[in-house]
Amino acid sequence: MADGRAAAPATAGPQPAPLLAIENLAKSFGGVTAVRGCTFTVAEGTVVGLIGPNGAGKSTVVDLVSGFGRPDAGRISFAGREIAGPARWGSRRVKTMRPDRIARLGIIRTFQNPREWPQLTVLQNVLLARCAFGHESLWRTLTRARRIRREEAEDLAVARQILDRYQLGDLADVRAGTLSGGQKRLLEFARIAAAGPRLVILDEPMGGVNPVLGGRIGDAIRQFAADGHTVIVVEHNLPFIERICDEVIVMDVGEVIAQGSFDGLRGNPRVVDAYLGMDLSHG
Amino acid sequence: MMYWVSVVTEAGIFAILALGLDMVWGWCGDFDLAFYGYLALGSYMTMVLTIGKPVPPTQYILGLSLPYPLAVVLADIAVVAFAAIIGAVTLRNLREIYFAVTTLSAVSALYLFVQVYTPLFDGYNGLFGLVNPGQAALNLTYNGYRTFFMAVVLGLLGLAYLLVQRVSGSPFGRMLRAVRDDEQAARAYGRGIFFAKYRAYLFGAALAGLAGGLLAVFISAFNTSAWAPQELLLIYAAILVGGRGNPRGVIIGVFVVYVAFVELTRFLPFGDAMRQILIGLLIILMLRFRPEGIFAERPGGARAGGARAGGARAGRTGNQVGEVADPAAARAAGTKAAGT
Repeated sequence: MADGRAAAPATAGPQPAPLLAIENLAKSFGGVTAVRGCTFTVAEGTVVGLIGPNGAGKSTVVDLVSGFGRPDAGRISFAGREIAGPARWGSRRVKTMRPDRIARLGIIRTFQNPREWPQLTVLQNVLLARCAFGHESLWRTLTRARRIRREEAEDLAVARQILDRYQLGDLADVRAGTLSGGQKRLLEFARIAAAGPRLVILDEPMGGVNPVLGGRIGDAIRQFAADGHTVIVVEHNLPFIERICDEVIVMDVGEVIAQGSFDGLRGNPRVVDAYLGMDLSHG
Repeated sequence: MMYWVSVVTEAGIFAILALGLDMVWGWCGDFDLAFYGYLALGSYMTMVLTIGKPVPPTQYILGLSLPYPLAVVLADIAVVAFAAIIGAVTLRNLREIYFAVTTLSAVSALYLFVQVYTPLFDGYNGLFGLVNPGQAALNLTYNGYRTFFMAVVLGLLGLAYLLVQRVSGSPFGRMLRAVRDDEQAARAYGRGIFFAKYRAYLFGAALAGLAGGLLAVFISAFNTSAWAPQELLLIYAAILVGGRGNPRGVIIGVFVVYVAFVELTRFLPFGDAMRQILIGLLIILMLRFRPEGIFAERPGGARAGGARAGGARAGRTGNQVGEVADPAAARAAGTKAAGT
């Protein structure tokens, strides 16, 4: 397997502003604190792994960043915009952006289970992900349907190319709900490719995935980075993380306990402790 | 002969209503029980805009004598305005049974309000007097006018069908179905859920209002006995039979169910009660044996590729998708179908 990691960035000189900055994020559900004092940044164009034992708060952080939950405290800024932060006049409530608005800003996330639109065809799933909102005006549909169809022709060609890239070309007209689990995972990637977001957050993309498909997923993620997207990958599969990530953030019991290169983690006692002495070397 | 004109006219009117309702139920997945109220409001408003000033003791609002087509348009606008309020409240966060119950409450409240507050539409007595508007101007006999009106209804149904087909196969229609299938995933791809459903809801209500305006002429009178909220169940049964989410299926379903019911209940005893029993039976049987209807929804709506091998089993109205036993067969069937 080719080592796809970029060289560690030089620390001298002014750094460009991080694409995503999270500051003191906190979230509790009832009596359970899922996330506390969570702070980290993600630089543009990198692949960052977010790892940690079960219950560390990783998926909660993903939900909070993508707008699918409201933080109790903290601040999240993306591409210079604050997408979650203290409400005006320093009140205790955190105001947050709606998830669809955050998606339109350029953050696309996946869920732990593939969530295709089952009654639409594979091709339509990808077309929809392309987010051509201008085509979805009801008024224009009633009055300029032919024009919309013409404008869509280009999106259609691109969508088919993307499907071919992920070996889903033959399945273009099959209802997405009938795909196998592995095919649905590939469809997720096809949709992300179609959407072309600035930041992709993958929530356990390797769940239930066989090694061959896993290899393809790893290549797809490195390709996203090469194309200029930024990726955050939440995963338990540590060899996979080591292979594809430029940098790793480790969480445990709701807070960030380490951030840095994968190699550096092995010597970090807190990380080792969190994983109860799990072997962090190649599997 | 005139009997069939009457049956076809009435079926045509309800087909327009059903097309509107299918937008909300078939494409958005929301089980709305307020739609008959929109039909009723359309009828009432059309009447108070055409039958002139009330003669005491009859009382109702407005009481203008506008030309009928204009009255229908204005009535439709009023219906859409009313639906805008109901939709704004119910579509934000309510789904499934909560949405159904809230819309049922809204229409029941309207129903009771109209019954009790007589200055509105004369309560139980209702309105009457919209008899064949323009018959003299068109120089038609009574039967001639009824036939002409049937042609108008079918023409409007055709127009409604074309518009609905256009929306169904459009990116907007596709997006509605995605919102229906998986709302959270749609959010994750930047779709505003409320805004999507709201627009479809208002469009559906506009069709219901139009149907109401036409019904006012068909019956020439309208009162609360003509619209109990449960009347909507017959329309739902028709949509179930014909094909939820499939505009052609919906129209055929309405005609089949409507004509079948009218014919059957002529020969059976207990008329109206038997009708209710048969509607219930029909719904149960359809849900049990063929929930997607005679004409299943095409993947992603009209004009889309017709993948059927994998689709037929996957098209359960409960939005559960059955895994196809043999993905290879589905693939083979899929590649045979025409692309979008």
